[in-house]
Amino acid sequence: MTARDAILGKLRAPVPLDLAAQAAALVAGSERPPETAGSPVERFAARLAGPSVSATLDRIDDASGLPDAVRRYLAHHALPATLYLPPDSRLTSLDWRGFRIDEAVAADQMTALAVAKAGVAESGSLVFETDASAPMLPNFLTLHHIVVLATADLVETIEDISVDLAEHRAHYWVTGVSGTTDIEGQYVRGAHGPRYLHVVMVG
Amino acid sequence: MSFGQRVDLALADKVLKVAVERTAGTAEAKRALAVEAFPAFEDARTRAAAIKDHVIAHLGHYLEMFEANAIAAGAQVHWAQTADEAATIVVDLCRKAGAKSVARSKSMLGEEIGLPHALAEAGIERVETDLAEHIIQLAGERPSHIVWPAMHKTREQVSALFRAKHRDPHVEETIAAMAESARRHLRAEMLGADVGISGANFLIADTGSICTVTNEGNAELSVVPPRVHIVTAGIEKIVPSLPHAIHMLRMLARSATGAALTQYTTFYTGPKREGDRDGPEEMHIVLVDNGRSAMAADAALKEMLRCIRCGACMNHCVVFRQVGGHAYGGTYPGPMGAVLTPALDGLSANRDLAHACTMNGRCQEVCPVKIPLPTLLRGWREKSWREGLEPVSMRQGLGLWRQAVLRPRLYRMASGATVRAMRLLARQGWIARLPFAGAWTKYRDMPAPEGGTFMAQYAKGRRR
Repeated sequence: MTARDAILGKLRAPVPLDLAAQAAALVAGSERPPETAGSPVERFAARLAGPSVSATLDRIDDASGLPDAVRRYLAHHALPATLYLPPDSRLTSLDWRGFRIDEAVAADQMTALAVAKAGVAESGSLVFETDASAPMLPNFLTLHHIVVLATADLVETIEDISVDLAEHRAHYWVTGVSGTTDIEGQYVRGAHGPRYLHVVMVG
Repeated sequence: MSFGQRVDLALADKVLKVAVERTAGTAEAKRALAVEAFPAFEDARTRAAAIKDHVIAHLGHYLEMFEANAIAAGAQVHWAQTADEAATIVVDLCRKAGAKSVARSKSMLGEEIGLPHALAEAGIERVETDLAEHIIQLAGERPSHIVWPAMHKTREQVSALFRAKHRDPHVEETIAAMAESARRHLRAEMLGADVGISGANFLIADTGSICTVTNEGNAELSVVPPRVHIVTAGIEKIVPSLPHAIHMLRMLARSATGAALTQYTTFYTGPKREGDRDGPEEMHIVLVDNGRSAMAADAALKEMLRCIRCGACMNHCVVFRQVGGHAYGGTYPGPMGAVLTPALDGLSANRDLAHACTMNGRCQEVCPVKIPLPTLLRGWREKSWREGLEPVSMRQGLGLWRQAVLRPRLYRMASGATVRAMRLLARQGWIARLPFAGAWTKYRDMPAPEGGTFMAQYAKGRRR
């Protein structure tokens, strides 16, 4: 007998016909933390600014203003105008003159740009998925992570994220900068991944 | 070494108490704030317990569903009945991948199945990427907490360790500089690994996805670059679907660190897809039983399978806060460990754990899935008694007490005499030395009894 059969053999139990309905009922009306005051954008912004996310926010009217917004951020942090860009036409089609654009991410890459699929007002999370235009590693390697989010892609709660996990290899939520409390419970930013998270909301 | 000996060592270690208090105290305060900001938390706990009970009742069904969907997504699923089987499967997969080094993201299941030891025996270099696991790997120690494995280390100890072992250690004596030193040291090792190994916080049955949560981002840096990703997960980690996982994630982060969510919450479904720019070519998921199916069939123990490994029970435990995690001796410390260790490793060698409890009920109050931990610990005490594992002195002492308590007049006379005798021994309300309890009064004074026995006071009250 294989290990699989032995384990499953010990766990045999009748499966009720309405098991799926029972499972669905278990999460109908799940409790959530109460909504704070303000519009979804205001709540999202407040979450980003809070200590557990500690991201910065910039807002622009349309995507053509993105290179300038990135320039402002880099100048503020006295960083070189060097940038990893994922092969996403929404980004590559913009005018990046004056930048050095890296198409591959280096182990010591300073800054990377990425497009979020959604933002979540409840938690201040940014939602990403991997595909041919969205690699994952750059978003974890760099010290400065700049994320572009369309205001229209902001949702209220985590349940509102439109997602089919089967469609992409990885689906992930970034809720703050890489941090650790592993030494004496004291919070430190920039454990292995980004120490700075900057969100540019478009529209 | 016995449990008692380990506790003696822990209590004598002044540095340990400081270190445990710094982290557990912070965690307790942060959790309290998070729960205060979530008024429906009590109902959410009830729901979380119901979700886990549903899964445990239909574990076989959901495991088969998970397996079918994971395979459909291109992952390979392996099953292990025991810890040794699981470790062997992982080592064989590493060998097949020709791995010289593996990057490992902290997983308590990995500790449970003895993976660090198995990899060392196979001559495979292991790079622990979680900061705390890195610290204890450098120190050659074991985790002392399931969320903060290096909780027992002070900043001074970590600093000395990094200065001795890092290629380019920190200069400034701050925690931030120490974390930076680890970042520099680990990055190259992490990116050069042949295999990435992680655990799973949740297995999503209806898509075959695995979910990991970290605050450091080390899990992603460990499992995305290598060619092979191996996941080890206990079979109880399963949830029916993503909405169930979302509810559990809200509970997990708040209970563990007081955050709304961990910084990184990632779902992986199968290996790299066509066109993907990164990700592993192969994904293996090792489903580990190691006593869990037996627990699911045990009415007294199956509630323990609800556990989502948040660590709140130990952060709030008066015993853990005194002795730290190593004294417990097993993979899992604190109240949840005291319940789980006898189930995993046998009761006879671990019967002391159930006694290391004051029954104050704090663990049950903070548990996000409402595990009745004191009741389960009492269950182990009863079982230990029934199976004759308690020492002779305890059995005889209780036997004598039973004889006395079955004779109320005799019992009252004896307890009344004891109270009078204790008053004679007292000086200014305190007893410095008590016959038959010399070990107790060696380090502290016993308060002298006031106002007679309970029954005497009760009788007096009724007359009034």
